[in-house]
Amino acid sequence: MMVIRRILLCAVLLLLAVVLEVTLLAPLPFPGATPPLVLVTVAALSFAFGPNTGAVCGFIGGLLLDTAPPAAGTLGITALLLTLVGYLLGRLGDPNDRPLFLSVGGTAAAGGLVVLGAAILGGLLGNPRIQWGDVPVMVITAALYAAFLAVLLIPLIQRLSRRLVPEAFAR
Amino acid sequence: MRDGRTNRIVLAILVLLSITLVIIDLRGSSSGPTAAIRSAGAAVLAPLERVSGAIFGPLLSLGDSLGSLGEKDQQIADLTAENARLRADLDLVANEKARVAELDSLLGLVGNNGYVTVPAQVIAVGPAQGFAWTVTIDAGTRDGVEPQMSVISGAGLVGRTISVTPTTATVLLIVDATSSVGARLAGTSQIGIVSGSGRQDALQMQLLDPLAVVDVGDIVVSFGSEADRPYAPGIPIGTVLEMRGTEGQLTRSALIQPYVDVSRLDIVGVVLRVDERAPREPLPMPTPTPTTDDSVLSPQTDDSVIPEESAAPDETAVP
Repeated sequence: MMVIRRILLCAVLLLLAVVLEVTLLAPLPFPGATPPLVLVTVAALSFAFGPNTGAVCGFIGGLLLDTAPPAAGTLGITALLLTLVGYLLGRLGDPNDRPLFLSVGGTAAAGGLVVLGAAILGGLLGNPRIQWGDVPVMVITAALYAAFLAVLLIPLIQRLSRRLVPEAFAR
Repeated sequence: MRDGRTNRIVLAILVLLSITLVIIDLRGSSSGPTAAIRSAGAAVLAPLERVSGAIFGPLLSLGDSLGSLGEKDQQIADLTAENARLRADLDLVANEKARVAELDSLLGLVGNNGYVTVPAQVIAVGPAQGFAWTVTIDAGTRDGVEPQMSVISGAGLVGRTISVTPTTATVLLIVDATSSVGARLAGTSQIGIVSGSGRQDALQMQLLDPLAVVDVGDIVVSFGSEADRPYAPGIPIGTVLEMRGTEGQLTRSALIQPYVDVSRLDIVGVVLRVDERAPREPLPMPTPTPTTDDSVLSPQTDDSVIPEESAAPDETAVP
C-alpha cells in the first residue's frame, strides 16, 4: 500500500514536471538554459525517499524528458544523467537531518553538471548541435535556476511526501 | 549495509539500461525498440502537453516581461511576477488581437502561393540545454499532418515536421544545426543549401556556384523538393546579411538573416500540399511598389493583396 502511494506520488510529480518544463518553462525566454524543473523534482524526491527511489525517479524522469515531444536528442542520455543525480543526491548528508543549504547546493551543482555532462556525452557521440561557446552560460544559468527551484520545491515535496506517504518516514 | 548493496544494484541496473538505450538509439533511431519507446512516450505526453499548452499558451505572451527573471534581483522578479498576474487579463485581450493579426498575415502568404495549409499553435519547446531547435504544434495525423511537411508562418519558412502523433507534430526549425533546405536567391536564381547554425538569428547558405554575384539584402526562398515534401517551393526564408569567402573560392557561403523569429512562434501553418497552378516566380525586393509585376509576394508588408486588385480590371473584361 505504502509502495503504491509512493509510486503514484513520484509518477504524478514527474509527469507534471516534464509537461510544465516543455510547455511553460522552455517557451519562456529565460536567458541561457531552461530551468531544470524535472531535475529539481528528481532531487527533491531523492531527498525525501533516499537514493534507491531517487535513482528510479531519475531514470523515469530522464526517459520522459527524452521522449516528450519535441525531444530530438539521443534517447537515454538524460535518463543516464538523472539516474546518477537521483542516486548521488539521495546519499548526500544525513537523510534525517539535512540542512536546506546542503540540499539546495547539491541540486544546483547537479543542475550545472548535468548540462555539462550532456554536452560532453553529446559531443563524444557526434551530436552536431552542441554549441560549445554557449555551454558555460548554460551550465551557470542551469545551476542558478536549479537553486531557485530547489528552494521552492524541496521543502514542498518533502512536506507532501510526509503527508501522503507517512510510513516512509516512520523510524 | 544491506540497504547500500541494494541501492548499488538498482543504480547499476538503471545505468546499464540507460547506456543500452543510448547505444540502440545511436544505431538507428527511426526504427527498432527505441522508436517504440519514443512513440509510447509521445502517446502519453502529447495529450498532456496539449492540455497544458492550452492553459499556458495565452499566458506565455507575458514571457518578455518575465524573461529577465534570472539576472535581476529577487525584488524585481517578485514585482514583475505580481505585475504580470495583475496584467494577465489585459494581456489575454492583446494576445487574442496579436493572434488574429498573425492568422491574417499567414492567410496572406497562403493565398498568394496556393499552399493548402492547416493552422496550428506551438504548444511545447525543447529545453535550451539540449541545443535542439524543435517545437511541438497542436496538429497531428488527425488533421492530415504527416512527417516531412513544410511549416510556415506569416513571415516565411519555419521548418518541417519530423514526427507526428494523432494530435501533435514535432517541427524541426530551420535554425537547428541538423536542418538543411534547398534554396535559391530570388532574382539571380542562384541555388544553394541553407543550413541552420544552431543560433536563432543566423542561417548559413552554401552557394553551389563559386562565382555567384550576391548582394547583401538579396532574398532567399526555398527551392522546393520533389512532390513538395519536405519543402514546398517559393517560401521566403530570409535575406543575405553578409558574404563569407572571396569570389572564386571553391565554396562560398552567405550568412542569412531568417525572416521568422523562432523564439516568438505562436501560430504556424503546415503545408499539406501545393495547388498545381501555384505561381513559382521568385520574390521581388522587400519593399514592393504597387505597380510591380503580378507575382508579388512580400513577407514583410501588408501589401500582398495588391496583385489581385490590379488583376481585377481584366476580369471585368471577361464576359
